[in-house]
Amino acid sequence: MNTKNKTKQTNISQFFKSPSRGDSPFKRLIIHLILIVACVIAIYPVLRIISVSLRPGDRLLSTSLAIIPKDASLYSYYRIIFEKPFLLWLWNSLAITITTAFIGLILASTSAYAFSRWNFPGRKPGLFFLLTTQMIPAAMLVVPIYILAVKFQLINSYRGLALAYSVSSVPFSIWILKGYYDTIPRELEEAAKIDGASEMAAFFRIILPLSTPALAIVFLFNFMMAWNDWLMARIMLQRENMFTWPLGIWTFSGQFRVEWGSFAAASILVAVPVMVLFLYSSKWLISGLTLGSVKG
Amino acid sequence: MKKFLTVLLVLVMLMGLVNMASAKVNLIMWTKEGEDALDWNKSLVEEFMKANPEVNIELVHKINVEVLREDFLTASLAGAPPDLLWTVNDHAGPFVAADVIEPVDNLFDLGIFVESALAAVELEGKYWGVPISNGNHLMLLFNKKLIAEAPKDTDELFVKGKELTKEGKYALVWNQTEPFWLVPWLGGFKGKVFAEDGVTPTLNTPEMVATLKFLHEMKFDAKIIPPECDYDAADTLFKEGKAAMIINGDWSLSGYIAALGNDLGVARIPKVSATGEWPKPYTSGVYFMLTKGISGDKLKAAQDFIAFVSSKEKQLEMVKLLNRLPAVKAALEDPLIAEDPILKGSSDQMVVGTPMPTVLEMRCNWDSMKPEMLAVLADTKSPEDAAKDMQTSAESCIKSLE
Amino acid sequence: MGFLTAEVVINTLRELGSMVLYIILGTIILEILVYVVLGKIFKSKYTLPYMLMIAAIFGITILIIYPISYEVRLAFTNMSLRHFRSYTLSWTQGLKNFGLVFSEPVLKQVKFFPLLFRTLLWTAINVVFHVSGGFGLAILLNRQMRGRGLYRTLLVFPWAIPQIIAVLAWKGEFHYEYGFINVILTNVGMQPIQWMASPFWNFVAACITNIWLGIPFMMIIILGGLQSIPLEFYDAAEIDGASRWQQFRNITLPLLKPVLTPAVVLGIIWTFNNFNVPYMINANELETTDILVTALFRAAFEYHRYGFSAAFAMVIFIILFVIASIYIRITQGLKGVYE
Repeated sequence: MNTKNKTKQTNISQFFKSPSRGDSPFKRLIIHLILIVACVIAIYPVLRIISVSLRPGDRLLSTSLAIIPKDASLYSYYRIIFEKPFLLWLWNSLAITITTAFIGLILASTSAYAFSRWNFPGRKPGLFFLLTTQMIPAAMLVVPIYILAVKFQLINSYRGLALAYSVSSVPFSIWILKGYYDTIPRELEEAAKIDGASEMAAFFRIILPLSTPALAIVFLFNFMMAWNDWLMARIMLQRENMFTWPLGIWTFSGQFRVEWGSFAAASILVAVPVMVLFLYSSKWLISGLTLGSVKG
Repeated sequence: MKKFLTVLLVLVMLMGLVNMASAKVNLIMWTKEGEDALDWNKSLVEEFMKANPEVNIELVHKINVEVLREDFLTASLAGAPPDLLWTVNDHAGPFVAADVIEPVDNLFDLGIFVESALAAVELEGKYWGVPISNGNHLMLLFNKKLIAEAPKDTDELFVKGKELTKEGKYALVWNQTEPFWLVPWLGGFKGKVFAEDGVTPTLNTPEMVATLKFLHEMKFDAKIIPPECDYDAADTLFKEGKAAMIINGDWSLSGYIAALGNDLGVARIPKVSATGEWPKPYTSGVYFMLTKGISGDKLKAAQDFIAFVSSKEKQLEMVKLLNRLPAVKAALEDPLIAEDPILKGSSDQMVVGTPMPTVLEMRCNWDSMKPEMLAVLADTKSPEDAAKDMQTSAESCIKSLE
Repeated sequence: MGFLTAEVVINTLRELGSMVLYIILGTIILEILVYVVLGKIFKSKYTLPYMLMIAAIFGITILIIYPISYEVRLAFTNMSLRHFRSYTLSWTQGLKNFGLVFSEPVLKQVKFFPLLFRTLLWTAINVVFHVSGGFGLAILLNRQMRGRGLYRTLLVFPWAIPQIIAVLAWKGEFHYEYGFINVILTNVGMQPIQWMASPFWNFVAACITNIWLGIPFMMIIILGGLQSIPLEFYDAAEIDGASRWQQFRNITLPLLKPVLTPAVVLGIIWTFNNFNVPYMINANELETTDILVTALFRAAFEYHRYGFSAAFAMVIFIILFVIASIYIRITQGLKGVYE
């Protein structure tokens, strides 16, 4: 999609907004009703988590459907912050995730450029292989990666997990970035080279700045992938102090006796910032998924 | 500013290259315990380390026994297992098959422990664990406010049960999702899950069918137990006073003492009227297991720590804190146990229990009983068909173990 | 029990910092190697692209290709609990493993083909609901109306909430006594449902959870696609007298294809390989809710049949590969990516 076409389309849709030509008031009412029902279905389970997190400690299981329970209490929040290593888990997740997102981005951004601009031997099979990696059941790679991690003494460390995450998101990132680079006209680099810039300088000074939106998307995707992962963390981390938050939350719910209060409170504390970030950036995320495939 | 930051970044990176060396003996111990028992675990480790400053024990908490088993095998496969386990007896089966733990016969004086506790970790003529506590068995707990005395047999249970079950209250609850709660009744109907050889499943038997019918009757005819009830639901119902009786294990005692105080009563699970037999809950316990190949300083440190936990003083501490029955004879004979009504009830139940099989094949039995039992309790399968399917399923599972 | 202290923060930074340093050092060495070997010795004109990729190639080799080859090797061994340390590697054992996948029950009772059928059913149900639900909502949202932004935001909630949280919360909501669905059913005077014990309802529970989770993604993708279709097309069609349905078939669908195809391919792959939902919702470990990947996980980690499950994993991978290839071939959806 080139930039010119994109603006043209936005103008049109801004002008007409959408094909709502002549809907009758009754039809509008029905539409609103359907959407309201859909919204309730979408958010009610989330509201229930809030509700459980506010319940006093002795009545976590209850047949009440009220969102704000009677004698609501913040005890569960107090408990996970001051009596459980929840903040530590959040920090672990944050540290690993940010490192991962950056390393993954650097690896993918240069590789995608190679895939986009050169027809080197092994390019087609390479691209195909990258797509294939998305089909491997994650459970299949768990044992060998664990064994590798033991060999290199990376169990229970930030490093092991950060390395595993950075690499596992690279194939997907390369696909997205290659799609975006493909839409940047080669003439831009040619012009730069005529001006005496080297190939690498052209990449860093022209291509990368132009790709900021795509890079941001890939960063976000890597971030989300690592932030939400459970399976890999489950085998790499064994000390409670090293846990990432998904593991921590899982320990609340995986025991013989489920700690619903802690689970719900922790979930809310994790989910709120993530959801804000996500809702804020979801438009971008989508455009990122479709970047390579929509021809302008 | 930029320069300063770069220098700082490089410094931080360089710091990472320096590794600290230590001369201490480092022992890693995985534990299956949680909540109160985990706190006791920690206090033991801390006290021991204070007395033995040359030893450092790192306690790793596994969130449940399944996770501990899976992780220990994966870690052994990768060559990085912990040194010491604090876990349940049935892990001995898979761990011995995989050859990842050491027999303890020659490392400890096993004479000080209760025989029934040792019997639950005996395989191939050797002992594979050092007992910490004895029991882990199910028993009947009742709320004296709702029912003054425990029913003696199942006939009485049905009569009293019907009176007690009304307005959202139930007579009896237990975790209906686990066959661990099925086995006591099976024992009451004189059934066993293995033939004499201890490895051939005997699940498709008249005894099993009778047991399943009995459960079905309690749920659908007498209606004295809830329609669907997992561990949490049973636990909550009992604590809230909405269930008069619960069948639960010794691990739950402290929680109920805290919730019900003097209203808590402990008794045997009611005798099965049809056979005149007491139900036979599985008894086992909690054990130390030693990782294959542990030697030298680590073995010495592990032996010292285990001896420390096996002392009469620590065993009685466990009895007081966790209401578990001790595995050391000297502690079991202590008046503390005979005088406490709860512990007395618990040990009274344990006497009629039967040691839980340790062999690997038991895993297949559990996994085969579970869905079929659930199907009977969901009224989607007849007890006869369920028993038949248990057997075929267990057989095909055992075949796949080879 | 650990808490977040300054010491922890410094340790984290130190560890991750040193890792970055190692990575930089390693990359420099790799770059020099490629430069010397390809550039100086072979004088290849592709030296630069390979230098750009070498770090990623190195990482992928170690963390993706090596594990795959390890699994392939494992598929030809008899490794299991009873042969944990002393397993043997042979062609016949490999053939036996692959044979076992198809001939014997994968876990206890259910054999491979019923399991495959259930997985396909699971994938089909979910993807159909995701696409049709997403389509329906997108069409409703694709118009000028009050509260559009609010609807859109609220409807995206299930996608925005971290999956593990949503799944575990849903698991709690299928509780017989305390889950809200059963509470509502009881309140309106209907029989509560045994979500956990009944095989049929447990499968339905897993489907409900996954459909709930997956609709927003499709909705947003389709909405984006709808908005990029120029309105003139519809105006022209209307002048030509095309009905609403004809407009949908001949304008909307074809123009959505480039957006929809990759989304559906991803949807199929994600659903087919979905581990969290069927694994966590199935609290009673019913074999009847297992799909291929959860059965794979159980065979490897609960039954420790390593050799067998490696062979099983290969089979699953090949099936998915075939399905995705057929879909891509039929829709020609990735045409142009290789250009």
